[in-house]
Amino acid sequence: MSRQRSMDKILASDFVSIGELVRLTGSRYSTLKFYTEEGMLPFEQEEEKRTRRFPRENAVSRINEIKELKEQGLSIPEIKERLSSKAY
Amino acid sequence: MKELSFAQHFTLIALNAQESTRLTNSKKVSLRCMAAAVILELYLDNGFSQVGDVLTCERGILENPSISLYQKAVLNIFFSKNETISGTLPQYLTRVVKMSKKQLKIVEDAFVANLKEENALEEIHALLSSDLEFVTAGIEMKEYRSNSESFTRVTESIRAEILEEGPVTDEAILMLWLLRESGSIYDLFSKEELKHVAERIYKLYNDSSLGKTVFPISIHNTVEYAVKNFLKMKKEIMTTPSGSGVAFVFPIIERSQSIFIDTEAYFANKEDRLNDVKDRLERNGHHIKVIREGDIPLIKIDNMLYEAVPHAKVYKFPVHGVRLLKYPLSL
Repeated sequence: MSRQRSMDKILASDFVSIGELVRLTGSRYSTLKFYTEEGMLPFEQEEEKRTRRFPRENAVSRINEIKELKEQGLSIPEIKERLSSKAY
Repeated sequence: MKELSFAQHFTLIALNAQESTRLTNSKKVSLRCMAAAVILELYLDNGFSQVGDVLTCERGILENPSISLYQKAVLNIFFSKNETISGTLPQYLTRVVKMSKKQLKIVEDAFVANLKEENALEEIHALLSSDLEFVTAGIEMKEYRSNSESFTRVTESIRAEILEEGPVTDEAILMLWLLRESGSIYDLFSKEELKHVAERIYKLYNDSSLGKTVFPISIHNTVEYAVKNFLKMKKEIMTTPSGSGVAFVFPIIERSQSIFIDTEAYFANKEDRLNDVKDRLERNGHHIKVIREGDIPLIKIDNMLYEAVPHAKVYKFPVHGVRLLKYPLSL
């Protein structure tokens, strides 16, 4: 049996899945998928399993940063430019 | 808000936008599935003693302090006057079909009380109350609204787990089965995504013992299910590159109405028309967010998405307005 992880366990993990990232941030799955495909979210991928693993702390703070920039009225290309000038 | 349980998560989806004051057919289906969710929750948490495929539970479990009010309500119905209940998982799950209206009401009250306590569910004016026919008839209706943040977390995490490549947890397998049986699956996935979901079910049916156990089980009560266009839809959606079969059948249950909101005047300008509809709905306590503007705007009303199609109804004179048509949460 493969059980879903509790929020406490997720919060104690270094890496999380995209579904867990949704649970942590309340963001939409399609939004996170878009950010991932646009290179705005850091992730690791094991080639064989093709499952994306996100470094929890970095990914959550990056999502919050994107939300803030969107609230300031920046477009996605502008946000991407702003993020690319920073190192993970 | 504390972390909700598996059955409570399903309830947030199943009861959202359902009438709270009447036992409609779609609510009956939801309540039966909520009772099944309690059994599945107990199964996941090893609440049954298992010998082979037979699961047994003693009445003493009701005295366990970790048992919630809603779990107690459902288990009491299962125990009836017996001290012990036993059967296979499919036997437990199919028992919910025989639940009476009175028992379903007990299930509803227990779940709702728990969720209201957690501020996860509330009762609001029903969207249908804003329909011209209901307004003029003076009919007031109420419906449930799930907490928006919790609803998004639950629906989006299940979408992520099913649509994303990678392993699927037992909770997601069982949630998928509940969504299929309750008809809520159409609220969460677009028609295109349902093809992927059907393939996923087929794979889980073959690769997972839990999937093999639950996906062939159906708890349909034919009277409660609208079967209009069923065969057509089944053919369109359920045929996958891998094949088709019983595991791919998504029952179609009418969970939403088409709602006509009349505008105060005829608006040739689409922005004015949208603002008028928005004001009307907000006055009735609904949460409105415009997702997409245009000739047919897409608006989020209390967790659900609707397309607002300009429309006129002809009585003795034409009444202008918009017709709200449900849209899947698959943006």
